[in-house]
Amino acid sequence: MTRNPYLSDTCHTLKPLVPIDTLYLIQWVKKILQEYLYLVKDKVVDMKFLKFEYKITIFYLLAGGLWILFSDKILLILINDRTVLSEFQTYKGWFYVVVTAIILYFFIRKHLNKRRDLERKLQEHQNHLEKIVKIRTVELESTIKHLKETQSHLVQSEKMASLGLLTAGVAHEINNPLNYIMGSYSGLKLVLKKQLDEDEKLNKLLKNLKIGVDKAAGIVKGLNQFSRDQESFDETCEIHSILDNCLVMLNSQLNGLIKIERDYAEALPPCIGNVGKLHQVFINILTNSIQAINTAGKIKISTKTINNSILIEIADTGCGISKEDLPKIFDPFFTTKDPGKGTGLGLAITYNIIKMHNGQLDFTSELTSGTNAKIILPIK
Amino acid sequence: MKKFKILYVDDEFINLELFEISLGIKYHVFTAHNGIAGLQVVEENPDIKVVISDMKMPIMNGLEFLRKLCTKHSEISCFLLTGYGLTPEINEAIREGLILDCMSKPFEMELIDKEIQRVLNK
Ligand SMILES: Nc1ncnc2c1ncn2[C@@H]1O[C@H](COP(=O)(O)OP(=O)(O)O)[C@@H](O)[C@H]1O
Ligand SMILES: [Mg+2]
Repeated sequence: MTRNPYLSDTCHTLKPLVPIDTLYLIQWVKKILQEYLYLVKDKVVDMKFLKFEYKITIFYLLAGGLWILFSDKILLILINDRTVLSEFQTYKGWFYVVVTAIILYFFIRKHLNKRRDLERKLQEHQNHLEKIVKIRTVELESTIKHLKETQSHLVQSEKMASLGLLTAGVAHEINNPLNYIMGSYSGLKLVLKKQLDEDEKLNKLLKNLKIGVDKAAGIVKGLNQFSRDQESFDETCEIHSILDNCLVMLNSQLNGLIKIERDYAEALPPCIGNVGKLHQVFINILTNSIQAINTAGKIKISTKTINNSILIEIADTGCGISKEDLPKIFDPFFTTKDPGKGTGLGLAITYNIIKMHNGQLDFTSELTSGTNAKIILPIK
Repeated sequence: MKKFKILYVDDEFINLELFEISLGIKYHVFTAHNGIAGLQVVEENPDIKVVISDMKMPIMNGLEFLRKLCTKHSEISCFLLTGYGLTPEINEAIREGLILDCMSKPFEMELIDKEIQRVLNK
C-alpha cells in the first residue's frame, strides 16, 4: 500500500473505513480550508468572508463526500430487504442530484440577487451623479454666459463713458462759439433793423445764419442727450425726439443714398425710462440698418400705440440676416462684420437696455429683402 | 423813461459784450465775469431787478452764486443759462424757486427779453 502523505501515521495503521480516494478528498478539502483559514486568521473566521466560489466548492464537496460516505450505511440500517435496497440505490443518485441542485439553486440565486441589488444601486448612483453633473453644467454655462454679458457690458460702458466724456466736452466747447454767433445774430438784427425792412438779401443772409446756428445747436443737444450718464429709469422719454436726435447724429453716414421715411403716430405718449440709454438703443439699431444697406436703400421708422405700449418699427431694405444667424444676433460678440466695423456688442447691449425698460425686442429678417426690428416699450 | 437794471454774469467776455449790445437798447445792463464780481455789482446797485447767470464759471458756479445772492436779496428774479442741459441740481433749484427758469445755450436774446418782460410786468 502506498503511503498517503496527507494521512497521519495513526490513520495508516487503522484499517480505512472508506475507500482511500474519499480520504484523499477529505484531506484535500481540509487543506484548502486550512490554507484559507491561515490567510484570514487575523479576521473573524466566518463563512461570510469566504469567496462565493470557495463556498460553493466546499458545499458541493462536503455534500458529495458525505453522501458517498453515509448514504449506503443509512440505507443498510433502514432497509433489510435486498431487492428494495437495490431499487432504492438506483433512486439514491437521482435524489442526491435533485437535492443538491435545489440547494445550489437557492444558494446561487441569493448570491446573484445580492449582486443584482448592488448593480442596481450602482446604476442609481450613477444616474444621480449624471444628473448632478448635468445640473452643474447648466449652472456653469449660465455663469459663463453671465460673465460674458458682464464683460461685454463693461467693454461697452467703458466705450460709452469715454465717448460720453468726449462728446460732453466737445458739445460744451462748440456751444460757446455757437452762443457768440447767436448773440451776434440778435445784435445784428437789432442794429440793422431799418435796413432789414428794405433789403431782401440781407434778410435772407441773416435768416440762413440763424438756420445754421439752430441746426448746429440741435446736433449738440442730441449729443448731450446721448452722452449724459444718468442711471435712473424714471425720466420722461419722448420717443419721437429721441429718434430724431439719433437721425441727426447719424445723418453723416446716410450719404444721401439712404432714404429715411418717418411714419410717426400722432400724439404718441411718452414712456418712462432712461433717455440716454434709449438713444443708445436706436443708435445701435439704426447703425446696423445703415451698415446693412450697401449702396442705396430705405429705412422706414414707424411708431404706434397699442394696448398701453409703444410700438416702434425700424425696417430697412438691407442685406438681411440668414436663418442660422438670426437666433445669434443678441449674443455678445456675435458679428458678421469685419473687425473694426463691428464688435458684436450693439444688439447685446440694446437687448439688455430694452429688458431694463420691461420692453420687448424682436427681429424678423429675410435675406435680400431686408430686416425689421420691432421694439415694444410699456407706457407706464 | 428810466431803464430797468439787469445783471448778466458770464466768464466769456464775448457773451457779455453781445448781451450788452442786444439788450442794452431796452435795459440798463450790468455785467460781471464771475460770481464775486456779480455780488459786488448788486451791492452797489441794489435796485437791480433781474440777474441772469451762466452755470459753468470759475470760482463759483451759477447756482452757488445765485444762492448767495438770494440769501440777501430774495426780491431779485434769477435765471440760469447752461450749455449742458438740465441736471438734477438745476431741477432742484427750479423746484425750490431759487431760479425762475433755466435756458440752454446757445440762447436767443428775444427769448431772454420775453422772460425779463414777464417778470417786470408782474
Ligand atoms: N439690420 C440688419 N441687417 C442685417 N444684419 C443685421 C442687422 N442688424 C443686425 N444684424 C446682424 O447682427 C449682427 C450683430 O449685430 P450687433 O450686435 O449690432 O453687432 P455689430 O453691428 O457690431 O456686428 C451683425 O453683425 C449683423 O450680422
Ligand atoms: Mg451694430
